[in-house]
Amino acid sequence: MLRKNGTAQPQGTDGYASRGSIASTARYILRNTLAAVAVLSFLVYFVSLPQAPALTVERTTAKSNESSGNNIIGGQPTRITWEAKVGNNEKVASVTLRFPAGSTIAQGANVKATVLDDMTRIETEQNPVLTGDYATIEFPKPVPSGLLLRIEVYNVALPSATGDYFIDASYVDSEGMRTDLLGAIPIKVIGITATESVISWLDQQEWVQNWNSVLFLRIFFNPQLIVAAIPGLFFGWLRSLGLVLVGFPLAIPIGLGISFLRMARGKGGAILRFISSIYVNVVRGTPLFLQMYIAFFGLPFLGINVDSYLLGILVLAMNSSAYLAEIFRAGIQSIHKGQFEASSSLGMNAIQTMFFVIIPQTVRRVIPTATSEFILLYKDTSLLAAVGVMEQMMFAKSMVANTGNMTPYIVAACYYLVVTLPLTKIIAVFEKKLAAAEGLTTAPEGKQKKKRASSLAKEDLSTGDCHE
Amino acid sequence: MKNLKNLQNYRKFLALITCMLLAMSLMLSACGDNSAKPTDSNTNSTDTVASGTTPIASAEMKLVTAGTLTVGSDCDYPPFISLDGATPAGFEYELMQAVADEMGLKLKYLEPQNFDTILASVAAGTKLDLGVSSFTITDERKELVDFCIPYCDSNQACVALKDKGFKSASDLEGKVVGAQSGTTGESWALENVPGITMKPFNQTSEGLAALMSGDIEALFFDEPVAAWQIKNTYTDAETIEKIPTGEQYGFAVAKTNPVLKDKINEALAALKQNGTFDKLYDKYFPGVTAPSLKG
Repeated sequence: MLRKNGTAQPQGTDGYASRGSIASTARYILRNTLAAVAVLSFLVYFVSLPQAPALTVERTTAKSNESSGNNIIGGQPTRITWEAKVGNNEKVASVTLRFPAGSTIAQGANVKATVLDDMTRIETEQNPVLTGDYATIEFPKPVPSGLLLRIEVYNVALPSATGDYFIDASYVDSEGMRTDLLGAIPIKVIGITATESVISWLDQQEWVQNWNSVLFLRIFFNPQLIVAAIPGLFFGWLRSLGLVLVGFPLAIPIGLGISFLRMARGKGGAILRFISSIYVNVVRGTPLFLQMYIAFFGLPFLGINVDSYLLGILVLAMNSSAYLAEIFRAGIQSIHKGQFEASSSLGMNAIQTMFFVIIPQTVRRVIPTATSEFILLYKDTSLLAAVGVMEQMMFAKSMVANTGNMTPYIVAACYYLVVTLPLTKIIAVFEKKLAAAEGLTTAPEGKQKKKRASSLAKEDLSTGDCHE
Repeated sequence: MKNLKNLQNYRKFLALITCMLLAMSLMLSACGDNSAKPTDSNTNSTDTVASGTTPIASAEMKLVTAGTLTVGSDCDYPPFISLDGATPAGFEYELMQAVADEMGLKLKYLEPQNFDTILASVAAGTKLDLGVSSFTITDERKELVDFCIPYCDSNQACVALKDKGFKSASDLEGKVVGAQSGTTGESWALENVPGITMKPFNQTSEGLAALMSGDIEALFFDEPVAAWQIKNTYTDAETIEKIPTGEQYGFAVAKTNPVLKDKINEALAALKQNGTFDKLYDKYFPGVTAPSLKG
């Protein structure tokens, strides 16, 4: 067909071939023949192409089986998902997936295929076979062309050595022809981590099994999950600490500034006192949780997009500054009036008096209450989990969601206590020192009134003892 | 001074006693539970196979509140379930109402609960009878709870803002993306898109709000919900990739309550047979073939 057209064209257009030399005509024919052969061979190639791979592998993945993190750990059960599309004019009667040498199957392992026509699930009869080396699914009614085959193998463990592993596959078409497909998409596997090896050791211990047979202990103090949660929550703990370690120092100068405004005197003093008291009363009179919601969901409406971690720090700092302002004000006002009078008689101005005489004395007095404010703020970082800031609580929550067990919360509680208990102890020591240094009458008022009262009572008791 | 020292010693002694008491009570509770189970089964005499670890499945249908089917859901997944004021509405709610009617029970939806806590509540079996919150049936979840026959087919979708210019989920490599905590969308993204940072949300609507504010680049959730949300509310967003997973939803039931599972399956089969199910499905998903409701 092509050749005929090629030779006919010059004759039909200007009759050049009939007048020209025979040699040139022959060359012309030869050239066209070659071209035609090339085109034909291309056609043959394309027609025969679909007969080679009837299945095109589209995905090969494994679900992360790390207790904290997103890696695939060798030697531990995971779920492998393998997706392939059935090619033109083909029907697939069975598919076999070969696992890398050294793979094993764990208890409860199974294999199933989902057949999809575009986005529609097609119910397909299937006969699965699963061993540690391979998984085969037979389709009594072969899967026709154009469909997506999605095979999931649950609870198979890949080899325990680090490396890239491939899933080789083979399929049998409706005529019984077997074709091999070499795996081309790697699954990255990391060797067993220290945590995971401790966990699998625990799995085998009899005392652990006995321990976990008690519902309460299994749900709240699961040994395996304690081991998993300690490293798993560590970064959450650091992030929570980061929030408060940046937020609190930020709150100190703001709080100090507001406390000055609260004590402002002179001409504009009334207005400054009014504004600052509104700030303090509104912030202290509303829940931090509500303030977070306003900041996190309100700002985006104004087109302001702040990084959520930074915004978290800002909200904490703003909130804490109001409490600190009151603590500082109480501290400053607790300094005896005589100190001001003495400073001014030495020729100091108000600022000098404040920074060289009053504040140095205040610092010592407010350290206990400011520290307990720090503890409160540290605990309040957990509220940020509700607005999507990744911190301790969020890490614990997602672990609980993945395991259906409360143990990660208990471990998270321990992480909070690691910070709060020593600080509480420090407060107690400071309070004791303060009381000893100043007598018992000039106690600064603050949030920890109750605690102070009890520690004062203790002092009473001990002094009483001494008198005996 | 001497007295003070005595006082301190006394305190130490007290602390020691408290610690010992605590440890003892823990040990006792451990032993007590262990020994209690076998004796329990002895007194029941007839069943001799009861073991300490596996919960004993009773032959009776158990309900948290007698005569009422108590259902837990996150109530934030239209068109399946959402809140209309304070009352739930949507396909799942109407289906549950029909199931409860079929079984001659009252239906009670609890206050919306975070999605990632529902299955644990179902497994505990003290608060809920059923977890109905578009739960995909997976092998992982089957280790915790049982599922009734699948009532709906679903797929995953990756949704991003139109003006961001993403073409497929693979464009999101190394980006910050979101998903509702504990969903199959979350695990699909973590498994298939390399290098992403996943932000989990309690609710899908919180994730959508974060998508709008640019806090995350894309949100992974179920395709029917994505289609509904984009059509009705979030018109600035688009589905950049539909991900065929062929997953199926099922009601979650405690493993200790197989009779309830069977009864629900019977009710679903009856609703399929009398056409109620297909009619309801067509109301919410017109033109889509209703699932066969076969296990």
